[in-house]
Amino acid sequence: MSLAPSRTASPVTRRTVLKVIGGVGAGLMLGCFADAGRITAGEGSKAALAPNAIVRIDPNGDVIVTVMRSDMGQGVRTSFAMLVAEELDADWNKVKVLQAPADEEKYGSQQTGGSSSITSHNRDLRRAGAVARALLVGAAAKTWGVDPSSCTTDAGVVKHASSGKSLSYGELAGTAATLPIPTEEPKLKDKSEFKLIGKPTNRVDNHDVVTGKAIYGMDVPVEGVVHAVVARPPTIGGSLKSFDDKAARQVPGVIDVVKIGSGVAVVGLDTWAALKGRDALVIDWDRGPNIGVSSATLHEAMVKEVRSHDAAPAGAKVVAATLEFPFLAHASMEPMNAVADVRPDSCTVWVPTQNPSGAKEAAVDASGLPEDKVTVNVTLLGGGFGGRHKADFVSDAVEISKAVKKPVKLQWSREDDMRNDDYRPASHHSFQGAVDSSGNPVAWSHQVVFARGRGGRGYRDAGIMYAIPNAKLAEMGTDSPVRTGPWRSVDHTQVDVANECFIDELASAAGQDPLEFRQKHLRDERVKKVLNAAAQKAGWGTPLPAGHGRGVACFSAYGSCSAYVMEASVEGDKFKLHRVVGVIDVGTAVNPRGVQAQMEGGCVDGLSTALKAEITVDKGAIVQSNWGEYDWLRLNEMPELEIYVMDSGGPFGGMGEVGYPPSPAALANAVFAATGKRVRMFPIKVSELA
Amino acid sequence: MAQYNISVNGEQHQVDAPPDTPMLWVLRDRLGLTGTKYGCGIAACGACAILLDGAEERSCQLPISEVGSKKIVTIEGLTRDGSHPAQRAWMENDVPQCGYCQPGQVIATAALLNKSPKPTDAEIDQVFETHICRCGTYHRIREAVKQAAKETS
Repeated sequence: MSLAPSRTASPVTRRTVLKVIGGVGAGLMLGCFADAGRITAGEGSKAALAPNAIVRIDPNGDVIVTVMRSDMGQGVRTSFAMLVAEELDADWNKVKVLQAPADEEKYGSQQTGGSSSITSHNRDLRRAGAVARALLVGAAAKTWGVDPSSCTTDAGVVKHASSGKSLSYGELAGTAATLPIPTEEPKLKDKSEFKLIGKPTNRVDNHDVVTGKAIYGMDVPVEGVVHAVVARPPTIGGSLKSFDDKAARQVPGVIDVVKIGSGVAVVGLDTWAALKGRDALVIDWDRGPNIGVSSATLHEAMVKEVRSHDAAPAGAKVVAATLEFPFLAHASMEPMNAVADVRPDSCTVWVPTQNPSGAKEAAVDASGLPEDKVTVNVTLLGGGFGGRHKADFVSDAVEISKAVKKPVKLQWSREDDMRNDDYRPASHHSFQGAVDSSGNPVAWSHQVVFARGRGGRGYRDAGIMYAIPNAKLAEMGTDSPVRTGPWRSVDHTQVDVANECFIDELASAAGQDPLEFRQKHLRDERVKKVLNAAAQKAGWGTPLPAGHGRGVACFSAYGSCSAYVMEASVEGDKFKLHRVVGVIDVGTAVNPRGVQAQMEGGCVDGLSTALKAEITVDKGAIVQSNWGEYDWLRLNEMPELEIYVMDSGGPFGGMGEVGYPPSPAALANAVFAATGKRVRMFPIKVSELA
Repeated sequence: MAQYNISVNGEQHQVDAPPDTPMLWVLRDRLGLTGTKYGCGIAACGACAILLDGAEERSCQLPISEVGSKKIVTIEGLTRDGSHPAQRAWMENDVPQCGYCQPGQVIATAALLNKSPKPTDAEIDQVFETHICRCGTYHRIREAVKQAAKETS
């Protein structure tokens, strides 16, 4: 994304205006204040009002909000539309959502990750709505010959109280489209004036989802499309030596077999033909340089990186611990896929991606066409969790379409998806801490080694929520050929989970209740409030049935804080989850119902990865390939779940990732409370408790 | 290839396909009914659930040759307007997150209610222990199933 210097270009084109606005710090390049980008769909009152790239009001009153971030279940299509509709004073029932194609010049960053959508876009979305509202008010005032300040708006209608006149937004759109766009910064509502923000709202796609009309990547209907799957090297770093496709070409429905960068693609009339054709390929793979790599060798290499911890203060009680986390696959319900239609002079892609610009780059590279000939449309995402930042499935689809000269639907099987992911890295954690004779923590040293290549940030501030003198975190890496990438909550899934387990160990060493110990040493009042609320709702300290234990953990990042109290017991060789109470504070929640859902989802992810999911490596290959081997929590394993959304009234915080980190930690601490044994390894197995 | 005449959502369809073609791919790639989702191909996740004579069936494991005269209903055919009690309960409880697995969960609910209009928690567990929702909407699913049952009875 290039930012042009602040200058006035003449003649002013839409693109330069957008760039100039971007250059002066608008963040998202809306073109809110420029008389540019206006779409006049007809004459006079029949025209639509489209004062910026985000909002359009049609003559029939429909409010079309363009959402430039990807929705993978976090509900951004709903919350973004709410932010625009709030300042517009739109009738929520008239709001429709359009998904933006990849165009960062127009929309700003479309990378959907890091719980950043609301925090980075809320202001500009509100401004987009406010500008449209000002134009509609201006149009009504002009029509009635009154002062705009004497007009009010509500639910898609401008009203003039003293005359009793009113006009709907649809009726005003045409006139509003003829007015100059205000140059002054639009006034945004005070929190006390919110009608939509803060109101629990159901997501905009529900009807399409439950009637089967929702279009995910693999559902895109394209005339004449053929279906493709790719045979990829079975080992990490393996490559294709040669292949024989005679039998594959005999499979009914197989249209073609083509060699592409990632392997051998089989193209069929339908996906089944392509899958059967792939099974019939005879391929000689070079297994590559990593066949000696396994989870055990990677673990050994990580442990070797650990150095000795600094000596604890004299006389203090020293506690040492290790923790292990495995690789994790993203395993979205919708396996990776993309549709590509490459023509001699154009390339159109439809793809469920968290990274539209990355997808576009991949399509440009693979098609060999200039950027302005490449269009990337973003569909709904059947899950993401960080796994849809990569774009190798886009390259696959474009390469195949280019080769067979037809639109191609490229489908990764579940097995392809699980074995060719960018995994959450495995990690090894070494802790040393100490408490003094009064039970106060006096030392904290955490060394984490990630299996994601050499390097790391070395020693730095511990980044812990607790006031502990001499607190340090050392981050290191070890050689590993396994591809890694962001996974919901990224390094917090290990560093913060481990921290919340070890603070519990310090509390035990101090002979103190883990909740009270946290309350005493937490630096941030906001986290403390969330923790206290969770404890209170869960009845912390009240008696439990024999064999049950209660654990607690909290978290703060992305502008939000969260906490869980969990109750668990051991039944035979399994854990039984009884009750989970969670509290989440995102400052001001745009859609509390969506925030609650994300907390529920983060909690279930935490429990699933604490108890079940793990990716292992053997002979240079990923072992797991489908559900069952890599499993998730099921409905019958769910505890009672209560989530409370706390409104602290602060700035809009992030949410997608905040629900995860305290979940595995609270469970591990509940397991200790129930069994007296500490968790040293995730996923937690009864037989491996220390 | 062989010719099959199958009933999907109340309409007869002629499909020319190898006998082992799973209904999942017939529905999605041949008939354009993409509401039925691919999730695993081994009947482990439930994203591809359809109704076969009113009972839940994993379409990824149902070859077209075994359909015969049985009637298939997909999520598109459950109701056209989303008025089935399960669909309504799903919307009201705001069950979906990414939504990808939910057609299968709704179909499973419709099948459960066909068999057992007032399902117990144990019956709900039994049906849904073979369905995965990667977004973790399980407790809303349970609530929605119960609400749908209330409205059905």
